[in-house]
Amino acid sequence: MRRLTEIICVFRIQLLSLRAEAGPFFLAGILFPASMYLFARAVSGAQSAQDHNRVRFVAGSIVFSISLTSISWLGYLLLENRFTGRLKLFATLPLAPSSYLLGILLFAFAQATLATTALLLVGRGFGVSMRPNIPMLTLVIMITVLCLCGLGVTIAARARSFTEGSLLTDALGAGLVFLAPIYYTPENMLPGLRTVSQLLPTAFAARAVETTLNGSYHVGSQLLALCLMAALTLGIGFRLTKWREE
Amino acid sequence: MATLLTEKRTIAVAKTHKGREPQAVEVRGLVKRYKDGTEANRGIDLEVQRGELISILGPNGAGKTTFLRQITTELAPTAGTIEIFGEDALAAPQRVKRLMGITPQEAGLFGSLTVWEHLHLFARLKNLSSAAARSTTIEVIQTLGLASESSRRVSTLSGGQRRRILIALALLGRPPLLVLDEPTTGLDPSSRQAVWGVIRRAVTDGAAVILSTHYIEEAERLSDHIGIIAQGQFIAFGTLDELLGRLDRSYRLTWRQQLDPFGKDCVRYFASFREAQHFVGLEQPAEYSIVRASLEDVYFDLTGERFLNRKSEETA
Repeated sequence: MRRLTEIICVFRIQLLSLRAEAGPFFLAGILFPASMYLFARAVSGAQSAQDHNRVRFVAGSIVFSISLTSISWLGYLLLENRFTGRLKLFATLPLAPSSYLLGILLFAFAQATLATTALLLVGRGFGVSMRPNIPMLTLVIMITVLCLCGLGVTIAARARSFTEGSLLTDALGAGLVFLAPIYYTPENMLPGLRTVSQLLPTAFAARAVETTLNGSYHVGSQLLALCLMAALTLGIGFRLTKWREE
Repeated sequence: MATLLTEKRTIAVAKTHKGREPQAVEVRGLVKRYKDGTEANRGIDLEVQRGELISILGPNGAGKTTFLRQITTELAPTAGTIEIFGEDALAAPQRVKRLMGITPQEAGLFGSLTVWEHLHLFARLKNLSSAAARSTTIEVIQTLGLASESSRRVSTLSGGQRRRILIALALLGRPPLLVLDEPTTGLDPSSRQAVWGVIRRAVTDGAAVILSTHYIEEAERLSDHIGIIAQGQFIAFGTLDELLGRLDRSYRLTWRQQLDPFGKDCVRYFASFREAQHFVGLEQPAEYSIVRASLEDVYFDLTGERFLNRKSEETA
């Protein structure tokens, strides 16, 4: 019970901080990914774009949004806490580092839920025909958030400076989306990078989100891959986040 | 060496007060050696009783903050033991932090939160129930004179007000041990006085307090015991009277030969008031003052900083 209270308090602190950052969140979490949907649709042939492509673009935009909020935004937030001395405040409390991270993860889930819902509505607004399998989509989103947050946590814990960390999180947040076959098919990728690009977490996430948006349950292999990656990235991230310096 | 032996004797005397209850803080042989070989703390021993306030003075880089950060479990010591109310701080950091209120020397606040939200949420993070968190938040807001700011966002507050929030965070839930690293740095004189009152009340209520400070007056006014730390170890430890007693010449004469507002003061210490007066009679300075030596004089005598400068001024 105590641990749950701790997690919720950390979550609430971040959520209340979002009041001042609602505009940037709307921009990074919703507007920018929605624009990417329009951009991809236009590039792929505008009005002639098939419905299955449009669903793929919506799925891509959802993953793009999660990548920006979970790696770039969360990473930035964790870096800010670390390098502006806020982490010291948490370290003075009888709070386990894992509770702090779980509170941050809960905040990432909230952001992802908000952004995904908004992007689904945007998709509907643009006339994309989707039959989202909500429970499975929720599961995929959660595992994707965990996996990508793990990267943000790891960078934030390891970065030697705020600048280094924020550059890395920004680069990864966008780079993992553009390197993965999300807005294009794998065949369009350079042959040498094709296999690698399909193994990126964002590639698994986009395939899984697209499948669930088409109403299907068949995302077992993608979920398994995402789970393994989440366990790895979060395992490293949790291990690196310590209150006590050596 | 003689100084160190004296300190060990002082600590040994302190030990005789040890009752059945564990000490608030018991530090033994604390050593902190960084990877680059720097020894920030070199075998520090310290005991703090409940209801006792210990001030730690020392020049910049003497090892004060390193010492406090080890007590608060933020920094792992290279050697030595730390017990907080009988609990091993190294083995159970979360448990001992439940007994502590900590004001770090430098820490950031969440600027988007209001003062109330900040304090209330951190009170909850200290494992207080919702009702207890609410009442302790009201209490510290009133105690630290933050009532008119309680609904303001932290980002809109002045540096001094933010410093008071950091102190308020330490006081939440009335912890039995307060570790305050330069708590009043950056506060205006009236805020500093108010914080002193708050710290005094906490001690009266039975809390043990360790504070580091650069303000000698703060240490003089608040402390039961004062430790002077230099080069990673205590070079003096005792009550104010004990420390003042270390000076052979405890009257300070400050004088100027000419009535020049930009002129430098000359300083000399004397064993008695009469001796100082005699010297004044011989020198016939334009203006002078004779005062009893203070902790400042002891500090400068021990750390050899401004005291040496004054001597050279005197010689000049």
